[in-house]
Amino acid sequence: MATGLPTYKVILCGEYGVGKSSIFRRFMNNTYVVSNEKKTTIGLDQASRIVNVNGTDVKLLLWDTGGMERMSFIGSSYYRGAQAALLCYSVNNKETFNILSQYILDIVMNAEGAKIFLCGNVMDCGDDKEKVTEADVDRFTEECDNVLSGVYKVSCRDNIGINEMFKDITEKLHEMSVNKMTLRRDMVIRPGETPELTKDTSKKRCC
Amino acid sequence: MDETYDCIVLGTGLKECILSGMLSVSGKKILHMDRNNYYGGESASITPLDQFYQKFSREMKGELGRAKDWNVDLIPKFLMANGQLVEMLVSTGVTRYLEFKAVDGSYVYKGGKIFKVPADEKEALGSSLMGLFEKRKFRNFLLYTQEFNEEDPSTFKGINPKVDTAATVYQKFGVDSNTTDFTGHALALFLSDDYMNKPGSALDLVRRCKLYYKSLSRYGKSPYLYPLYGLGELPQGFARLSAIYGGTYMLDRPNTEIVYEDGKVVGVKFEGDVAKCSAVICDPSYCSEKVEKQGQVVRAICILNHPVPNTKDAQSCQIIIPQHQVNRKSDIYICVVSYAHNVCSKGFYLAIVSTTVETANPEAELKVGMDLLGSIIESFVTVSDLYVPTDDGKDSRVFITKSFDATTHFETTCDDVVDTFERLMGQPFDAKQIKHTTCGEDE
Repeated sequence: MATGLPTYKVILCGEYGVGKSSIFRRFMNNTYVVSNEKKTTIGLDQASRIVNVNGTDVKLLLWDTGGMERMSFIGSSYYRGAQAALLCYSVNNKETFNILSQYILDIVMNAEGAKIFLCGNVMDCGDDKEKVTEADVDRFTEECDNVLSGVYKVSCRDNIGINEMFKDITEKLHEMSVNKMTLRRDMVIRPGETPELTKDTSKKRCC
Repeated sequence: MDETYDCIVLGTGLKECILSGMLSVSGKKILHMDRNNYYGGESASITPLDQFYQKFSREMKGELGRAKDWNVDLIPKFLMANGQLVEMLVSTGVTRYLEFKAVDGSYVYKGGKIFKVPADEKEALGSSLMGLFEKRKFRNFLLYTQEFNEEDPSTFKGINPKVDTAATVYQKFGVDSNTTDFTGHALALFLSDDYMNKPGSALDLVRRCKLYYKSLSRYGKSPYLYPLYGLGELPQGFARLSAIYGGTYMLDRPNTEIVYEDGKVVGVKFEGDVAKCSAVICDPSYCSEKVEKQGQVVRAICILNHPVPNTKDAQSCQIIIPQHQVNRKSDIYICVVSYAHNVCSKGFYLAIVSTTVETANPEAELKVGMDLLGSIIESFVTVSDLYVPTDDGKDSRVFITKSFDATTHFETTCDDVVDTFERLMGQPFDAKQIKHTTCGEDE
C-alpha cells in the first residue's frame, strides 16, 4: 500500500462532459470508451502511475470527480492536499473554456499552493459549438501568466499527447517539490493504511 | 424529471451520506439532495469563518487570521480508533479520501481540577487520579475487561453479563465511587448514571471498556481520531463513495416535499417536478410530521488563542466532567481541536462545550466547562432539539434518522445507520460488494 515514494496528488477539474474521465481512463489503463452515453467507471476514482524522473521513481496519483459535478458541486474535500490540478476543457466547446476562471478560483480557495495545468481535449462531438482557438488559449495563458504551470492539448480518442502531458506534469511537480521543503506529514493517520501500535508489538513478540 | 429512483435521500449529514454510499454500493439507484449549497447539513464544518459568523448573525471582529483557514464543526465528536465508523471507513475504502490525527489526550474533571486519563501503565502509576491501593483494584478490573471474551463463559468469572448490572461488576472488584465515576464516564463514556442498575448493563460496561482500550492501543496517546479539515470531511467522503457507484447529487434545493399515495411514499417534489422513488431516507428536519422531540442538547463553540490550561499545551483533547462532580444528571463534554487539524488559523483553538439540557437556562449549565478554558475570544451557543422518528418507516417507506445526540463519539451514529439500512433493505450491509481500489502499478 504505502510505498515510500514521493507521491503527488493531481485532481481533474472542469465542466461535466469535457472528457475528464476519458483522460482518467487513458491514464489508468490506456483505454478509451467510444460511446455517447457517458458512464462513470463504477467504483474507480483514483489511479496511480510510477514515473521515473531523472533516475528517481515518483508516484502520480490522479483523482477523478466521480461525476459529482454533473448536477451539483464537488465539495471541498476533493481538493484537500492536491499538489496539482489539471484544468480541462473541450477544444470543441468554447463554453467549457470560458468558465475556467471559476474553476481556478475554486482550486485556489480549496487546494492552497496546488499547481494548475491547462489541458484542452479534442473531442469528436460538439461540432455545432463554437471552438476554442489558439488565440483564445494564448490570451488566457497570458492573463493567468503566473497561475498556469503548463499548457497541453490532447486527444483521448486518438491517444495523442496524454503520456507526454503526465510525464511533463510529474517532472515539473517533482522539480518544484525538491526545490522547496516538503511538508512533514508524519503525524497523519489513515486507518487501514497507517501501521498500528498493536501490530508492531505483536510482530516483535512473535519474531 | 421523469427518472425513477430506488431511494431518494434528503439531507447530506453524515448518517444520510453513509446510507447513500451503502445503498449505491448495493446497486440501488440513488438521488441525494440537500437544501443547503454545501455538503454535511448539521455535520458540516463551516468555512470560511465569515460564513460561520453569518450563521449566528454576527459581525467578525478582531484578528482571527485568514477566514479560509477555518473549518468550524457545529457538532463536536471524535472517532474511536477501534470504533464502528473507522471500520466503515476502512471497509468502504472511504479512508482513502481522508487523513486523521490522533487526539493528544483525554482528561477528566475531579474536585475542581482536571486529570489526564492514563494512556499507558506508566501514566497510570504516576497519576494522582486515585490512590495506590485503589489503582491495584482498578488494574484488576481493567484486566478482567480485557480478558473478557463473549464466546468464552470461563472469562466471565462469576458474572452473568447479559443479566447482571454494571454495579455488580464494580462491586466484584471493590472499586470506590470515584473509580466508578471515572470508569463509567471517562472510559465507558456513559452520558449519565442510568446504566448502573440496568439488568444486563454488565456486558455493556465491559464492551465499552474494551472499545476504549482497543482504540487506545491502536495509535497511542488517546483512543480518539479527528480528521484534518474538520468533521465535515466525513459526509463528503461517503457522498463521494455514493457518487462513484452511480448516485446523483443535487445541492441547493431548498423546497423539497415528500409525496405519498395511500400513506406510502411515491416520490419527492421539488421545483415543480416529482422525482419518483420507492423509499426515502431523510434527517428529521425534512419530515417534521413524523418525528418527536426527545430532549435538547446545548453546545457552546468557543474560539481561543491558546491551548486549554492544564493540558500540557495539547493541540487537541477531550475533557469530561462527570455528572456527580457538578451535581448534574448528565455529563458535560469538552472537545478541543486546533490549527494542527487545519480547522483554525495558526495559533487558534476551537473548544466545544456540550451537554444534555436539564434546566430552563441551558447556557448556564455549560459554565463549569467554559471556566476551564481560560480566556475565550468569542463563544457561540446553540440549543438543539433532539428528534427521533415516531415509527420504523416500514409502512410509509420513509426512513428517518435520529438527530445527533450528546455523545462525543460516533458509536450511536453508526448504530442508527446500521439499523436504518436494515429496516430499509431487510438485511445488513455487505461491504464485500465494494470492488474499488486505487488502480495503479504498485498496488
